Amino acid sequence: MSQQQTKNSITLKGSAQIICEYLRFAINSVLFQRGLYPPESFKAEQEYGLTLLISEDPLIKGFISDILKKSEEWILKKEVKKLSLVIINVSNKEVLECWDFNVQYEEGDVVLSKEKNEKVSSKDLKKIQLEIRDVMLQVAATISYLPLLDCRCSFDIYVHANPECNIPEKWMEAAPISISNAQNVQLKSFSTNLHKMDTVVTYKLMD
Amino acid sequence: MSLFHDVLEPFRRVINTDPPKDKLSASSKLNLSNSDVSIKESLSNLLSTKRKSSMDTSELLTPEKRPRTESTSTNSPVPPSPWEAKKIKIDLIAAKAQITKLEARVNHQHSIRKEMQILFEEEKASLMDQHKRDEKALADMEERLQVIRRREQELREDHTAAVKENMENKTKWDKERLELQKQIADLKDKLLEANVSSRNQVSEMKKDMNELLQALEGAQSEVELLKKEVARQTSRAEQCIALKTQLDKQTFELQQVNSKLKDLEYERDCYKDWQQHAKTAQKRLSTMADLEKEVVRLRAAERTLRDAVCNKLLLEEQVNVLTAKVEALQPVQQELHEAKVKVALLESSLEEWMSAAKAHGVETARALSAALESAFAGQLTAVVNCSEAKTQMAQLTEEVATLKFERDKATTKLNDIMSVRKSQESLIHRLQKRLLLVTRERDSYRQQLDCYEKELTVTLCGESGAGSAALLSARVEQLEKSLQGYRDLLATHDQEAHAKLVESLRAEASKYREEAESSRREAGKLRAQRDQLQAHLDRLVQTPQPTTKILHLVDNPAAAAHKQMQLDMESAQEEIKRLKAALREGGSDVCPEEMQQLKQQLENSRIKLKRMKEEFTSSAQEYRDVVYMLLGYKIDRTGHKNYRISNMYAESAEEYLTFTLCDDGIEMVHTEYSASLNELVELHLHHHRSIPLFLSALTMELFTRTTMQQDIQ
Repeated sequence: MSQQQTKNSITLKGSAQIICEYLRFAINSVLFQRGLYPPESFKAEQEYGLTLLISEDPLIKGFISDILKKSEEWILKKEVKKLSLVIINVSNKEVLECWDFNVQYEEGDVVLSKEKNEKVSSKDLKKIQLEIRDVMLQVAATISYLPLLDCRCSFDIYVHANPECNIPEKWMEAAPISISNAQNVQLKSFSTNLHKMDTVVTYKLMD
Repeated sequence: MSLFHDVLEPFRRVINTDPPKDKLSASSKLNLSNSDVSIKESLSNLLSTKRKSSMDTSELLTPEKRPRTESTSTNSPVPPSPWEAKKIKIDLIAAKAQITKLEARVNHQHSIRKEMQILFEEEKASLMDQHKRDEKALADMEERLQVIRRREQELREDHTAAVKENMENKTKWDKERLELQKQIADLKDKLLEANVSSRNQVSEMKKDMNELLQALEGAQSEVELLKKEVARQTSRAEQCIALKTQLDKQTFELQQVNSKLKDLEYERDCYKDWQQHAKTAQKRLSTMADLEKEVVRLRAAERTLRDAVCNKLLLEEQVNVLTAKVEALQPVQQELHEAKVKVALLESSLEEWMSAAKAHGVETARALSAALESAFAGQLTAVVNCSEAKTQMAQLTEEVATLKFERDKATTKLNDIMSVRKSQESLIHRLQKRLLLVTRERDSYRQQLDCYEKELTVTLCGESGAGSAALLSARVEQLEKSLQGYRDLLATHDQEAHAKLVESLRAEASKYREEAESSRREAGKLRAQRDQLQAHLDRLVQTPQPTTKILHLVDNPAAAAHKQMQLDMESAQEEIKRLKAALREGGSDVCPEEMQQLKQQLENSRIKLKRMKEEFTSSAQEYRDVVYMLLGYKIDRTGHKNYRISNMYAESAEEYLTFTLCDDGIEMVHTEYSASLNELVELHLHHHRSIPLFLSALTMELFTRTTMQQDIQ
């Protein structure tokens, strides 16, 4: 998973992979928790010391892996600022919920980077995984206060990239998200010392 | 005696039936009639003697029975002689023996007589019965006779009636006979007439017949002629048919021949074509040798041409490669030139650098790079510091601005407070002035008082009058009171008002201060809130800013879902339309028939159901009746799994048993009646464990009970 070249050093690529792995689990977890797809289409996997559920639907799997593959490239190029998982009401295209994954770029271990002639982080992988675990637990706990999705819903993933970035094939620009009467909940964040990941959930407050 | 004889007759007969039994007694009895007289005589004698002797015996016998009395009697004056006594004694003994014998005989006769009497009475009773029976029989016979007579009378009457009827019938029938005879005569006349007429008719008919026969013969001859004609005609027709078939065959053959002819013509045409082809081929064959030569020549030419083409292609490729190389090399050459120029430039610059470095005292390139790096690092840190400083400055400026704002606020507040204070001061001033005024007044009053006192002293000294003095004293008192009032007023004015004022002012000042504090706090809070909101706004407004561009995959699940939903919607709407159309069309013409059919079906099924119900109820009733008749029990279902059965021979309607159907069979429920059948329950249910046996036993018992009751009745 992570390219741990020597003791306690994570390269930029490895960090991006950690981020994307987290995104994969977080997105799948949200899809499961929010009940967008039937629970029987999910399979349990052990990760971060937790049992997480991953969708078995080939379409969803393919979609997420396509997005994350591209996102990893962009993260390496520092072109992504944020990924948003939006949950949309199918009938009127209204955005009901938005999970923002803000990516911040950090400097890492400067001294070690100098030694290795590339940007590395000396943060312990186990510590990162513990941090991710906390975030995942929070994600699972959100179900207690998020409003019930009682309509036919689907999801989409928006990548907030630099404006200079080229639009690849099969990709297109999307309209900005707006949620009326929105409520924000900031979840815990974690960092690899190269990338910092903030997770925020925005949802429409039902009256 | 005759009656006695008559009476004795059967008895005698009875005795005579067994003569060997006692002939002696019979003979003696036969002699009884003769001996009776003697007996009677002897009896009378005896009685007389007894009568005589009673006197004697009263004399004679008593001494034996009563010797004392005899002894007393013996003492009579006539004593008998011993001989006489002896004779008397012998006579007496003989008489006694005779008496006993006679008595026995009498007793015997008495017993015989009694037996006879009993026999006679029995005989009499039987005869009386017979007589009665005969009388009854007679009466019956008379009754019968009467009945018979009545019957005879009736029969006679019937007979006379029948005779009368017979006579009447006879007269009727005679009349009828006469009429019938008349009819017969008429009919005979008619018959005769008919015979005559028929004979005439027959003769006419015969004539006709002969004529007809003649006509028939003519016709038959004609028929024969016609038959012959027909035969001839048929033979001709056959000939015609044969001819026709021949014609058909010939036409068919003709057709075949025609077709063959056509084929032949076609073949001939083909042959002509072939001939032409052959001619051309021959011509071509003649030119074949020339052609072959030419072919060889052409082949050689072709080979040479191919080689040339190959060579040309090779050359072209080489040209292409070379041109490409040239093209590739041209920029390289240019680059080379440029590089040379650059190298020259760089060398000159390097020299300059070197000189500069030497001027700075650095000899080697590494040292220079190190120096540069350090310089860069310094610069970087400087830049960082600068940026930090800038940010700090910005923060500070912000802080300053806020502080200024606060200061402004505070100053405004201060101004307010100052103005308040000024107003307070003016108030104080006014109050002080008032105080002064009051003090002056007081002074004037004091002076007045003094002068009054002086006056008083003058008047008192003068002692002008008690009344005036009293008046004055009252006045003084009054004045003193007012003075006191003024003093009080003054005192209150002096201290309380001032203290109050000061306190109120102080309170106000502190209040304002507090207010300022709270407002400051509020300002801080509001600032924090503003910052938060700003951050929030930033977060929210981040997307439309040109800093980011939102990208997503074209075929995402949301779009797919939306498309799917639209498709669903369309299909649903189409279906709705289709259904509406169908409804509109079908509503007018399809439905009524179907409705009618369905209604009919419904009606049919209802009737069926009703009939089935009726059938079911009747068969159920029948079944129940049969069960009741065969098994003697009426079984009623009183609820779910509860059955009540009552026997045919039950004495009352309350004698019933209830059973419930359980999972493992049927169980009897305790009732009043079942409690009374303890014995049967014990024997058949508990011991034999068989309900049918119990029920049949109950039936038996009830049956026997009811039949016994009937017998008793």
